Amino acid sequence: MNLIKGLQRVKALCRTLRVNREIEDLSETYYNQAYQHKSFIKVSLNKKEVLAGCCVLVSCRLLNWPITMGTISCLLDADSMVVGAVYEEMVKILNIKAPIINVTDVMEAHSQEYKISSVYVPEELAENSKDLTKRAVALVELAADSWIVTGRKPIPIMMAAIYLAWQSLKPTKQRLKYSLDKFCQIAKVNKHKPALKRITEMKEVLCKLGKEIPWVKEPVTPDNVVRLMEDILQHRDALLRRALRTHEDALLADCQASCEDSLIEETAPSQISEVVEQTPDLSSVELCESNAERAKQPGDGDDNQCAASEQHSYTQGSQDSSQNWGKRVLFAPPCVIHAKKRRVEQPEPKDVTGDEEISDSEIDSYIRTPREARDFALAQKMFSMSESEKS
Amino acid sequence: MDSSNDEALDIIVTNVVATFRTRCHLNLRTIALEGTNVIYKPEVGKVLMKLRKPMITASIWSSGKIICTGATSEDEAKLGARRLARCLQKLGFKVRFSAFKVVNVLAVCSMPFAVHLIDFTKNNRPIASYEPELHPAATYRIKNLKATIQVFSTGSLTVTGPNVQNVATAVEQVYPLLFECQKPLCK
Repeated sequence: MNLIKGLQRVKALCRTLRVNREIEDLSETYYNQAYQHKSFIKVSLNKKEVLAGCCVLVSCRLLNWPITMGTISCLLDADSMVVGAVYEEMVKILNIKAPIINVTDVMEAHSQEYKISSVYVPEELAENSKDLTKRAVALVELAADSWIVTGRKPIPIMMAAIYLAWQSLKPTKQRLKYSLDKFCQIAKVNKHKPALKRITEMKEVLCKLGKEIPWVKEPVTPDNVVRLMEDILQHRDALLRRALRTHEDALLADCQASCEDSLIEETAPSQISEVVEQTPDLSSVELCESNAERAKQPGDGDDNQCAASEQHSYTQGSQDSSQNWGKRVLFAPPCVIHAKKRRVEQPEPKDVTGDEEISDSEIDSYIRTPREARDFALAQKMFSMSESEKS
Repeated sequence: MDSSNDEALDIIVTNVVATFRTRCHLNLRTIALEGTNVIYKPEVGKVLMKLRKPMITASIWSSGKIICTGATSEDEAKLGARRLARCLQKLGFKVRFSAFKVVNVLAVCSMPFAVHLIDFTKNNRPIASYEPELHPAATYRIKNLKATIQVFSTGSLTVTGPNVQNVATAVEQVYPLLFECQKPLCK
Protein backbone atom coordinates (compact mmCIF):
# COMPACT_ATOMS: atom_id res chain seq x y z
CA MET A 1 0.00 0.00 0.00
CA ASN A 2 2.77 2.41 0.95
CA LEU A 3 4.55 1.66 -2.28
CA ILE A 4 1.60 3.03 -4.22
CA LYS A 5 1.47 6.13 -2.04
CA GLY A 6 5.20 6.55 -2.48
CA LEU A 7 4.90 6.37 -6.24
CA GLN A 8 2.16 8.96 -6.13
CA ARG A 9 4.48 11.19 -4.12
CA VAL A 10 7.17 10.72 -6.76
CA LYS A 11 4.67 11.78 -9.44
CA ALA A 12 3.61 14.80 -7.41
CA LEU A 13 7.22 15.94 -6.95
CA CYS A 14 7.85 15.56 -10.66
CA ARG A 15 4.77 17.66 -11.48
CA THR A 16 5.85 20.39 -9.03
CA LEU A 17 9.28 20.54 -10.61
CA ARG A 18 7.71 20.30 -14.10
CA VAL A 19 10.19 17.71 -15.28
CA ASN A 20 9.66 15.71 -18.45
CA ARG A 21 8.04 12.29 -18.80
CA GLU A 22 11.37 10.47 -19.06
CA ILE A 23 12.53 11.71 -15.67
CA GLU A 24 9.20 10.82 -14.10
CA ASP A 25 9.38 7.25 -15.43
CA LEU A 26 12.97 6.80 -14.34
CA SER A 27 12.18 8.12 -10.84
CA GLU A 28 9.32 5.65 -10.51
CA THR A 29 11.54 2.76 -11.62
CA TYR A 30 14.19 3.67 -9.09
CA TYR A 31 11.63 4.09 -6.34
CA ASN A 32 10.23 0.65 -7.06
CA GLN A 33 13.68 -0.90 -6.88
CA ALA A 34 14.86 0.97 -3.80
CA TYR A 35 11.63 0.47 -1.88
CA GLN A 36 11.89 -3.32 -2.19
CA HIS A 37 15.50 -3.36 -0.97
CA LYS A 38 16.15 -4.47 2.59
CA SER A 39 17.72 -1.09 3.46
CA PHE A 40 14.45 0.72 2.85
CA ILE A 41 11.60 -1.77 3.18
CA LYS A 42 11.30 -1.30 6.94
CA VAL A 43 12.12 2.38 7.37
CA SER A 44 9.72 5.05 8.63
CA LEU A 45 7.16 6.68 6.34
CA ASN A 46 9.12 9.90 6.65
CA LYS A 47 12.21 8.27 5.28
CA LYS A 48 10.22 6.69 2.47
CA GLU A 49 9.04 10.13 1.47
CA VAL A 50 12.64 11.35 1.49
CA LEU A 51 13.53 8.34 -0.65
CA ALA A 52 10.93 9.46 -3.20
CA GLY A 53 12.63 12.87 -3.36
CA CYS A 54 16.05 11.26 -3.77
CA CYS A 55 14.82 9.13 -6.66
CA VAL A 56 13.57 12.27 -8.41
CA LEU A 57 16.88 14.00 -7.68
CA VAL A 58 19.05 11.23 -9.11
CA SER A 59 16.86 10.89 -12.20
CA CYS A 60 17.13 14.63 -12.84
CA ARG A 61 20.90 14.42 -12.53
CA LEU A 62 21.19 11.48 -14.86
CA LEU A 63 19.01 13.14 -17.51
CA ASN A 64 20.69 16.56 -17.32
CA TRP A 65 18.00 18.43 -15.48
CA PRO A 66 19.87 20.77 -13.13
CA ILE A 67 18.52 20.65 -9.60
CA THR A 68 20.10 20.89 -6.17
CA MET A 69 19.62 18.75 -3.12
CA GLY A 70 18.58 21.93 -1.35
CA THR A 71 15.57 22.27 -3.63
CA ILE A 72 14.47 18.71 -2.88
CA SER A 73 14.97 19.24 0.86
CA CYS A 74 12.81 22.35 0.62
CA LEU A 75 10.03 20.56 -1.24
CA LEU A 76 10.03 17.68 1.22
CA ASP A 77 10.46 20.01 4.19
CA ALA A 78 13.19 17.68 5.41
CA ASP A 79 16.63 18.17 6.94
CA SER A 80 19.25 18.28 4.20
CA MET A 81 21.52 15.93 6.16
CA VAL A 82 18.76 13.29 6.29
CA VAL A 83 18.17 13.73 2.56
CA GLY A 84 21.91 13.40 1.99
CA ALA A 85 22.17 10.19 3.99
CA VAL A 86 19.22 8.59 2.21
CA TYR A 87 20.58 9.72 -1.15
CA GLU A 88 24.00 8.18 -0.54
CA GLU A 89 22.48 4.90 0.66
CA MET A 90 20.16 4.71 -2.33
CA VAL A 91 22.91 5.45 -4.85
CA LYS A 92 25.05 2.73 -3.27
CA ILE A 93 22.42 -0.02 -3.32
CA LEU A 94 21.15 0.80 -6.81
CA ASN A 95 24.73 1.22 -8.05
CA ILE A 96 24.01 4.52 -9.80
CA LYS A 97 26.80 6.75 -11.07
CA ALA A 98 25.19 10.17 -11.12
CA PRO A 99 27.10 13.12 -12.56
CA ILE A 100 27.95 16.04 -10.29
CA ILE A 101 25.86 19.16 -10.75
CA ASN A 102 27.49 22.11 -12.39
CA VAL A 103 26.77 25.30 -10.47
CA THR A 104 26.40 27.35 -13.62
CA ASP A 105 23.69 24.96 -14.91
CA VAL A 106 21.69 25.28 -11.75
CA MET A 107 22.02 29.05 -11.68
CA GLU A 108 19.14 29.74 -14.04
CA ALA A 109 16.68 27.67 -12.04
CA HIS A 110 17.95 29.19 -8.83
CA SER A 111 17.70 32.78 -9.99
CA GLN A 112 14.00 32.28 -10.83
CA GLU A 113 13.37 32.09 -7.08
CA TYR A 114 14.44 35.71 -6.62
CA LYS A 115 11.44 38.01 -6.93
CA ILE A 116 13.42 40.95 -8.21
CA SER A 117 11.69 41.79 -11.48
CA SER A 118 9.67 44.99 -11.96
CA VAL A 119 6.46 43.06 -11.14
CA TYR A 120 7.58 42.64 -7.54
CA VAL A 121 9.85 45.57 -6.69
CA PRO A 122 10.11 49.28 -7.58
CA GLU A 123 11.76 50.16 -10.89
CA GLU A 124 15.04 51.40 -9.43
CA LEU A 125 15.60 48.04 -7.71
CA ALA A 126 14.25 45.79 -10.44
CA GLU A 127 16.29 43.59 -12.81
CA ASN A 128 15.10 41.16 -15.40
CA SER A 129 15.93 37.53 -14.77
CA LYS A 130 17.88 37.00 -18.00
CA ASP A 131 20.41 39.78 -17.42
CA LEU A 132 20.76 38.84 -13.79
CA THR A 133 21.44 35.19 -14.62
CA LYS A 134 23.93 36.04 -17.35
CA ARG A 135 25.97 38.32 -15.09
CA ALA A 136 25.78 35.89 -12.16
CA VAL A 137 26.90 32.95 -14.31
CA ALA A 138 29.95 34.91 -15.48
CA LEU A 139 30.80 35.69 -11.87
CA VAL A 140 30.41 32.05 -10.82
CA GLU A 141 32.69 30.97 -13.68
CA LEU A 142 35.31 33.41 -12.45
CA ALA A 143 34.84 32.15 -8.89
CA ALA A 144 35.28 28.56 -10.10
CA ASP A 145 38.54 29.51 -11.81
CA SER A 146 39.85 31.17 -8.67
CA TRP A 147 39.16 28.33 -6.24
CA ILE A 148 36.12 29.79 -4.53
CA VAL A 149 33.65 27.12 -5.73
CA THR A 150 35.51 23.85 -5.19
CA GLY A 151 34.53 22.17 -1.93
CA ARG A 152 31.83 24.69 -1.09
CA LYS A 153 28.04 24.40 -0.98
CA PRO A 154 26.57 25.75 -4.22
CA ILE A 155 23.59 27.72 -2.90
CA PRO A 156 25.50 30.38 -0.92
CA ILE A 157 27.79 30.83 -3.93
CA MET A 158 24.81 31.40 -6.20
CA MET A 159 23.23 33.76 -3.72
CA ALA A 160 26.43 35.81 -3.48
CA ALA A 161 26.76 35.88 -7.28
CA ILE A 162 23.19 37.01 -7.77
CA TYR A 163 23.51 39.72 -5.13
CA LEU A 164 26.71 41.11 -6.64
CA ALA A 165 25.31 40.81 -10.15
CA TRP A 166 22.21 42.74 -9.11
CA GLN A 167 24.33 45.50 -7.58
CA SER A 168 26.63 45.75 -10.58
CA LEU A 169 23.87 45.87 -13.22
CA LYS A 170 22.90 49.30 -11.89
CA PRO A 171 25.56 50.38 -9.38
CA THR A 172 23.64 53.34 -7.95
CA LYS A 173 24.32 54.60 -4.45
CA GLN A 174 21.00 53.18 -3.35
CA ARG A 175 21.74 49.66 -4.55
CA LEU A 176 25.28 49.65 -3.25
CA LYS A 177 23.95 50.52 0.18
CA TYR A 178 21.71 47.45 0.21
CA SER A 179 23.09 44.73 2.49
CA LEU A 180 22.64 41.06 1.66
CA ASP A 181 20.01 40.87 4.39
CA LYS A 182 17.91 43.59 2.83
CA PHE A 183 18.37 42.18 -0.65
CA CYS A 184 17.08 38.78 0.47
CA GLN A 185 14.13 40.49 2.10
CA ILE A 186 13.06 42.32 -1.03
CA ALA A 187 13.71 39.28 -3.23
CA LYS A 188 11.76 37.13 -0.77
CA VAL A 189 14.39 34.43 -0.33
CA ASN A 190 15.92 32.95 2.83
CA LYS A 191 19.38 34.30 3.49
CA HIS A 192 22.24 31.83 3.72
CA LYS A 193 24.91 33.02 6.13
CA PRO A 194 27.89 31.58 4.24
CA ALA A 195 26.90 33.83 1.31
CA LEU A 196 28.43 36.76 3.21
CA LYS A 197 31.82 35.07 3.21
CA ARG A 198 31.47 34.20 -0.46
CA ILE A 199 30.75 37.85 -1.23
CA THR A 200 33.96 38.90 0.52
CA GLU A 201 35.95 36.25 -1.33
CA MET A 202 34.49 37.17 -4.70
CA LYS A 203 35.19 40.84 -4.10
CA GLU A 204 38.78 39.97 -3.21
CA VAL A 205 39.22 38.16 -6.52
CA LEU A 206 37.53 40.99 -8.42
CA CYS A 207 39.92 43.46 -6.78
CA LYS A 208 42.93 41.38 -7.84
CA LEU A 209 41.70 41.55 -11.42
CA GLY A 210 40.46 45.13 -11.20
CA LYS A 211 44.00 46.29 -10.38
CA GLU A 212 45.11 45.07 -13.80
CA ILE A 213 42.65 47.21 -15.78
CA PRO A 214 44.86 49.71 -17.62
CA TRP A 215 42.35 52.57 -17.71
CA VAL A 216 41.56 52.51 -13.98
CA LYS A 217 43.81 54.94 -12.14
CA GLU A 218 42.27 54.95 -8.67
CA PRO A 219 43.04 52.11 -6.21
CA VAL A 220 40.57 49.25 -6.47
CA THR A 221 38.99 48.32 -3.13
CA PRO A 222 36.09 46.04 -2.15
CA ASP A 223 33.98 49.20 -1.79
CA ASN A 224 34.39 50.46 -5.34
CA VAL A 225 35.00 47.21 -7.24
CA VAL A 226 31.31 46.54 -7.91
CA ARG A 227 31.18 49.46 -10.34
CA LEU A 228 34.02 47.89 -12.31
CA MET A 229 32.47 44.42 -12.32
CA GLU A 230 31.04 44.69 -15.83
CA ASP A 231 34.45 45.43 -17.32
CA ILE A 232 36.21 42.86 -15.17
CA LEU A 233 33.85 40.07 -16.17
CA GLN A 234 33.91 41.04 -19.83
CA HIS A 235 37.71 40.90 -20.00
CA ARG A 236 38.32 38.34 -17.27
CA ASP A 237 40.50 36.00 -19.32
CA ALA A 238 42.94 38.73 -20.27
CA LEU A 239 42.91 40.20 -16.76
CA LEU A 240 43.59 36.77 -15.24
CA ARG A 241 46.62 36.33 -17.46
CA ARG A 242 47.90 39.79 -16.59
CA ALA A 243 47.37 39.25 -12.88
CA LEU A 244 49.26 35.95 -12.95
CA ARG A 245 52.14 37.52 -14.85
CA THR A 246 52.32 40.47 -12.43
CA HIS A 247 52.32 38.06 -9.52
CA GLU A 248 55.11 35.93 -11.00
CA ASP A 249 57.22 39.03 -11.61
CA ALA A 250 56.67 40.14 -8.02
CA LEU A 251 57.73 36.71 -6.69
CA LEU A 252 60.87 36.82 -8.81
CA ALA A 253 61.76 40.27 -7.49
CA ASP A 254 61.21 39.04 -3.91
CA CYS A 255 63.45 36.05 -4.45
CA GLN A 256 66.24 38.16 -5.87
CA ALA A 257 65.96 40.59 -2.99
CA SER A 258 66.28 37.77 -0.45
CA CYS A 259 69.30 36.42 -2.35
CA GLU A 260 71.04 39.74 -1.96
CA ASP A 261 70.25 39.71 1.77
CA SER A 262 71.75 36.27 2.25
CA LEU A 263 75.01 37.30 0.56
CA ILE A 264 75.56 39.70 3.46
CA GLU A 265 75.34 36.93 6.09
CA GLU A 266 78.74 35.21 6.09
CA THR A 267 77.87 32.51 8.58
CA ALA A 268 74.74 31.46 6.66
CA PRO A 269 76.21 28.39 4.89
CA SER A 270 77.41 26.67 8.10
CA GLN A 271 74.17 27.50 9.89
CA ILE A 272 72.18 25.99 7.08
CA SER A 273 73.93 22.61 7.16
CA GLU A 274 73.31 22.35 10.91
CA VAL A 275 69.69 23.38 10.72
CA VAL A 276 68.98 21.02 7.82
CA GLU A 277 70.19 18.05 9.84
CA GLN A 278 68.10 18.98 12.83
CA THR A 279 64.88 19.73 11.07
CA PRO A 280 62.34 16.92 11.30
CA ASP A 281 60.34 18.28 8.40
CA LEU A 282 62.39 17.22 5.39
CA SER A 283 59.55 17.88 3.00
CA SER A 284 59.91 21.64 3.46
CA VAL A 285 63.56 21.51 2.44
CA GLU A 286 62.93 19.46 -0.65
CA LEU A 287 59.87 21.54 -1.49
CA CYS A 288 61.71 24.83 -1.48
CA GLU A 289 64.55 23.38 -3.52
CA SER A 290 62.17 22.41 -6.29
CA ASN A 291 60.48 25.81 -6.00
CA ALA A 292 63.78 27.55 -6.45
CA GLU A 293 64.30 25.52 -9.60
CA ARG A 294 60.88 26.43 -10.89
CA ALA A 295 61.33 30.18 -10.39
CA LYS A 296 63.38 31.51 -13.31
CA GLN A 297 66.75 32.65 -12.02
CA PRO A 298 69.07 34.83 -14.13
CA GLY A 299 72.27 32.89 -13.42
CA ASP A 300 73.63 29.69 -11.89
CA GLY A 301 75.33 31.45 -9.04
CA ASP A 302 72.07 33.12 -8.12
CA ASP A 303 70.35 29.72 -8.29
CA ASN A 304 72.42 28.23 -5.51
CA GLN A 305 72.30 31.33 -3.38
CA CYS A 306 68.55 31.57 -3.77
CA ALA A 307 67.99 27.92 -2.94
CA ALA A 308 70.24 28.26 0.08
CA SER A 309 68.56 31.41 1.32
CA GLU A 310 65.13 29.88 0.81
CA GLN A 311 66.25 26.80 2.75
CA HIS A 312 67.43 29.04 5.55
CA SER A 313 64.19 30.99 5.74
CA TYR A 314 62.07 27.86 5.37
CA THR A 315 63.78 25.81 8.03
CA GLN A 316 63.17 28.66 10.42
CA GLY A 317 59.45 28.29 9.75
CA SER A 318 59.48 24.63 8.81
CA GLN A 319 56.17 23.88 10.51
CA ASP A 320 54.39 26.44 8.32
CA SER A 321 55.77 25.23 5.00
CA SER A 322 52.74 23.25 4.05
CA GLN A 323 50.60 26.36 4.45
CA ASN A 324 53.20 28.68 2.94
CA TRP A 325 52.55 27.51 -0.61
CA GLY A 326 49.20 29.29 -0.42
CA LYS A 327 50.96 32.58 0.13
CA ARG A 328 53.13 32.08 -2.93
CA VAL A 329 50.26 31.73 -5.42
CA LEU A 330 47.80 34.37 -6.51
CA PHE A 331 44.70 32.19 -6.46
CA ALA A 332 44.17 29.31 -4.09
CA PRO A 333 41.36 28.02 -1.88
CA PRO A 334 40.68 30.89 0.56
CA CYS A 335 41.51 28.90 3.70
CA VAL A 336 44.98 28.27 2.29
CA ILE A 337 45.57 31.94 1.50
CA HIS A 338 44.34 33.00 4.93
CA ALA A 339 45.74 29.99 6.75
CA LYS A 340 45.12 29.82 10.49
CA LYS A 341 48.24 29.56 12.61
CA ARG A 342 48.61 25.91 13.58
CA ARG A 343 49.48 25.04 17.15
CA VAL A 344 53.05 23.73 17.02
CA GLU A 345 52.92 20.21 18.40
CA GLN A 346 55.97 18.94 20.22
CA PRO A 347 57.05 15.74 18.49
CA GLU A 348 57.07 12.79 20.89
CA PRO A 349 60.24 10.67 20.94
CA LYS A 350 59.56 8.05 18.30
CA ASP A 351 61.58 5.16 19.72
CA VAL A 352 58.63 3.20 21.10
CA THR A 353 58.68 -0.51 20.23
CA GLY A 354 55.56 -1.62 22.06
CA ASP A 355 57.42 -4.36 23.93
CA GLU A 356 59.27 -2.27 26.52
CA GLU A 357 59.46 -3.14 30.17
CA ILE A 358 56.71 -1.50 32.21
CA SER A 359 57.81 -0.40 35.66
CA ASP A 360 55.68 -0.95 38.75
CA SER A 361 55.91 2.62 39.91
CA GLU A 362 54.41 3.79 36.63
CA ILE A 363 51.40 1.53 37.02
CA ASP A 364 50.97 2.43 40.69
CA SER A 365 50.26 5.99 39.69
CA TYR A 366 46.99 4.77 38.22
CA ILE A 367 45.84 2.91 41.29
CA ARG A 368 44.44 4.34 44.48
CA THR A 369 45.90 3.23 47.78
CA PRO A 370 43.43 1.28 49.97
CA ARG A 371 43.00 4.39 52.10
CA GLU A 372 42.29 6.60 49.11
CA ALA A 373 39.77 4.05 47.83
CA ARG A 374 37.98 4.02 51.24
CA ASP A 375 37.90 7.82 51.36
CA PHE A 376 36.61 7.98 47.80
CA ALA A 377 33.82 5.49 48.53
CA LEU A 378 32.85 7.43 51.64
CA ALA A 379 32.83 10.73 49.78
CA GLN A 380 30.61 9.22 47.08
CA LYS A 381 28.19 7.92 49.67
CA MET A 382 28.00 11.29 51.44
CA PHE A 383 27.53 13.07 48.17
CA SER A 384 24.68 10.85 47.04
CA MET A 385 23.07 11.14 50.49
CA SER A 386 23.15 14.91 50.40
CA GLU A 387 21.73 14.85 46.85
CA SER A 388 18.81 12.70 47.94
CA GLU A 389 18.24 14.97 50.99
CA LYS A 390 18.06 18.01 48.75
CA SER A 391 15.48 16.41 46.47
CA MET B 1 59.32 8.21 2.19
CA ASP B 2 58.67 7.55 -1.47
CA SER B 3 61.74 7.78 -3.69
CA SER B 4 59.73 8.18 -6.87
CA ASN B 5 58.33 11.58 -5.79
CA ASP B 6 60.28 14.79 -6.11
CA GLU B 7 58.83 16.03 -2.84
CA ALA B 8 58.51 13.88 0.26
CA LEU B 9 55.10 14.04 1.89
CA ASP B 10 54.61 14.04 5.62
CA ILE B 11 51.96 11.54 6.63
CA ILE B 12 51.06 12.29 10.23
CA VAL B 13 49.27 9.52 12.09
CA THR B 14 46.79 11.21 14.41
CA ASN B 15 44.92 8.23 15.87
CA VAL B 16 45.34 4.49 16.18
CA VAL B 17 42.48 2.31 17.44
CA ALA B 18 43.38 -1.11 18.80
CA THR B 19 41.54 -3.85 20.65
CA PHE B 20 42.65 -6.64 22.94
CA ARG B 21 41.16 -9.11 25.40
CA THR B 22 41.98 -9.89 29.01
CA ARG B 23 40.50 -13.41 28.93
CA CYS B 24 38.78 -12.88 32.25
CA HIS B 25 35.73 -11.14 33.57
CA LEU B 26 36.31 -7.59 34.85
CA ASN B 27 34.37 -6.01 37.70
CA LEU B 28 33.74 -2.48 36.48
CA ARG B 29 32.77 -1.20 39.93
CA THR B 30 36.11 -2.26 41.36
CA ILE B 31 37.98 -0.57 38.53
CA ALA B 32 35.97 2.62 39.06
CA LEU B 33 36.65 2.57 42.80
CA GLU B 34 40.31 1.62 42.88
CA GLY B 35 41.53 3.13 39.62
CA THR B 36 42.37 6.80 39.11
CA ASN B 37 41.64 8.54 35.79
CA VAL B 38 38.53 6.42 35.44
CA ILE B 39 35.00 7.32 34.35
CA TYR B 40 32.28 4.77 35.01
CA LYS B 41 29.37 4.66 32.58
CA PRO B 42 26.91 2.13 34.05
CA GLU B 43 24.21 3.09 31.54
CA VAL B 44 26.27 1.68 28.65
CA GLY B 45 28.06 -0.93 30.76
CA LYS B 46 31.61 0.27 30.33
CA VAL B 47 34.43 2.10 32.03
CA LEU B 48 36.69 4.71 30.43
CA MET B 49 40.26 4.78 31.62
CA LYS B 50 42.81 7.34 30.52
CA LEU B 51 46.54 6.85 30.58
CA ARG B 52 48.95 9.76 30.54
CA LYS B 53 51.92 8.24 28.75
CA PRO B 54 51.15 7.32 26.04
CA MET B 55 48.03 9.50 25.88
CA ILE B 56 45.43 6.78 25.48
CA THR B 57 41.79 6.35 26.35
CA ALA B 58 40.53 2.83 26.87
CA SER B 59 36.93 1.60 26.89
CA ILE B 60 36.70 -1.41 29.15
CA TRP B 61 33.83 -3.88 29.14
CA SER B 62 33.11 -6.44 31.81
CA SER B 63 33.53 -9.24 29.26
CA GLY B 64 37.22 -8.38 29.12
CA LYS B 65 37.15 -6.70 25.73
CA ILE B 66 39.06 -3.42 25.64
CA ILE B 67 39.32 -0.78 22.92
CA CYS B 68 42.23 1.70 23.07
CA THR B 69 42.18 4.98 21.18
CA GLY B 70 44.45 8.01 20.99
CA ALA B 71 47.85 6.50 20.19
CA THR B 72 49.91 8.00 17.41
CA SER B 73 51.63 4.82 16.25
CA GLU B 74 50.97 1.10 16.26
CA ASP B 75 53.81 0.47 18.72
CA GLU B 76 52.51 3.17 21.02
CA ALA B 77 49.07 1.55 20.91
CA LYS B 78 50.60 -1.79 21.92
CA LEU B 79 52.57 -0.22 24.75
CA GLY B 80 49.51 1.59 26.01
CA ALA B 81 47.44 -1.57 25.83
CA ARG B 82 50.06 -3.52 27.78
CA ARG B 83 50.25 -0.78 30.41
CA LEU B 84 46.53 -0.96 30.77
CA ALA B 85 46.59 -4.72 31.12
CA ARG B 86 49.27 -4.42 33.83
CA CYS B 87 47.13 -1.88 35.60
CA LEU B 88 44.17 -4.22 35.62
CA GLN B 89 46.44 -7.02 36.86
CA LYS B 90 47.51 -4.86 39.77
CA LEU B 91 43.89 -4.22 40.58
CA GLY B 92 43.61 -7.94 41.20
CA PHE B 93 42.24 -9.35 37.95
CA LYS B 94 43.74 -12.47 36.35
CA VAL B 95 44.57 -10.68 33.14
CA ARG B 96 46.25 -12.36 30.18
CA PHE B 97 47.12 -9.92 27.41
CA SER B 98 45.82 -11.52 24.24
CA ALA B 99 44.33 -10.92 20.78
CA PHE B 100 45.91 -7.50 20.39
CA LYS B 101 44.94 -6.04 17.01
CA VAL B 102 45.15 -2.62 15.45
CA VAL B 103 41.75 -2.08 13.85
CA ASN B 104 41.92 1.46 12.51
CA VAL B 105 44.51 4.10 11.74
CA LEU B 106 43.69 7.72 10.98
CA ALA B 107 46.30 9.90 9.32
CA VAL B 108 46.47 13.33 7.72
CA CYS B 109 48.62 14.49 4.88
CA SER B 110 48.96 17.72 2.97
CA MET B 111 49.64 18.17 -0.72
CA PRO B 112 51.59 21.29 -1.64
CA PHE B 113 48.92 22.17 -4.21
CA ALA B 114 45.18 22.65 -4.41
CA VAL B 115 43.06 19.92 -5.97
CA HIS B 116 40.21 20.50 -8.37
CA LEU B 117 37.65 18.12 -6.87
CA ILE B 118 35.26 17.98 -9.80
CA ASP B 119 38.03 16.97 -12.22
CA PHE B 120 39.35 14.45 -9.68
CA THR B 121 35.92 12.86 -9.30
CA LYS B 122 35.23 12.79 -13.03
CA ASN B 123 38.58 11.15 -13.72
CA ASN B 124 38.14 8.50 -11.06
CA ARG B 125 34.51 7.41 -11.14
CA PRO B 126 33.14 5.34 -9.44
CA ILE B 127 35.97 4.98 -6.92
CA ALA B 128 35.71 8.69 -6.15
CA SER B 129 32.53 10.48 -5.13
CA TYR B 130 31.89 14.13 -4.38
CA GLU B 131 28.71 15.81 -3.13
CA PRO B 132 29.50 19.45 -2.33
CA GLU B 133 26.06 19.99 -0.81
CA LEU B 134 26.80 17.36 1.82
CA HIS B 135 30.54 17.43 2.48
CA PRO B 136 33.36 19.64 1.21
CA ALA B 137 35.69 16.74 0.44
CA ALA B 138 35.75 14.12 -2.28
CA THR B 139 35.83 10.53 -0.99
CA TYR B 140 38.13 7.97 -2.61
CA ARG B 141 37.75 4.38 -1.45
CA ILE B 142 40.43 1.82 -2.24
CA LYS B 143 38.71 -1.53 -1.82
CA ASN B 144 41.72 -3.84 -1.80
CA LEU B 145 43.49 -1.75 0.85
CA LYS B 146 40.26 -1.14 2.77
CA ALA B 147 41.32 2.49 2.93
CA THR B 148 39.22 5.64 2.58
CA ILE B 149 40.74 8.96 1.61
CA GLN B 150 38.96 12.29 1.99
CA VAL B 151 40.41 14.85 -0.39
CA PHE B 152 39.86 18.54 0.32
CA SER B 153 40.26 21.28 -2.25
CA THR B 154 43.11 22.74 -0.18
CA GLY B 155 45.15 19.61 -0.87
CA SER B 156 44.69 18.22 2.64
CA LEU B 157 43.91 14.53 2.91
CA THR B 158 42.56 12.47 5.76
CA VAL B 159 43.16 8.76 5.35
CA THR B 160 41.69 5.89 7.32
CA GLY B 161 42.77 2.29 6.97
CA PRO B 162 43.33 -0.92 8.92
CA ASN B 163 47.04 -0.26 9.55
CA VAL B 164 49.80 2.26 8.93
CA GLN B 165 51.24 0.40 5.93
CA ASN B 166 47.89 0.42 4.11
CA VAL B 167 47.48 4.10 4.84
CA ALA B 168 50.91 4.88 3.41
CA THR B 169 50.22 2.77 0.32
CA ALA B 170 46.88 4.49 -0.15
CA VAL B 171 48.55 7.91 -0.17
CA GLU B 172 51.14 6.69 -2.66
CA GLN B 173 48.38 5.39 -4.92
CA VAL B 174 46.29 8.53 -4.82
CA TYR B 175 49.13 11.04 -5.18
CA PRO B 176 49.52 10.81 -8.98
CA LEU B 177 45.75 11.09 -9.42
CA LEU B 178 45.72 14.26 -7.35
CA PHE B 179 48.79 15.67 -9.06
CA GLU B 180 47.07 15.66 -12.43
CA CYS B 181 44.09 17.57 -11.00
CA GLN B 182 45.93 20.54 -9.58
CA LYS B 183 44.71 22.66 -12.51
CA PRO B 184 47.21 25.48 -12.80
CA LEU B 185 45.47 28.71 -13.59
CA CYS B 186 46.75 29.48 -17.06
CA LYS B 187 44.57 29.76 -20.12
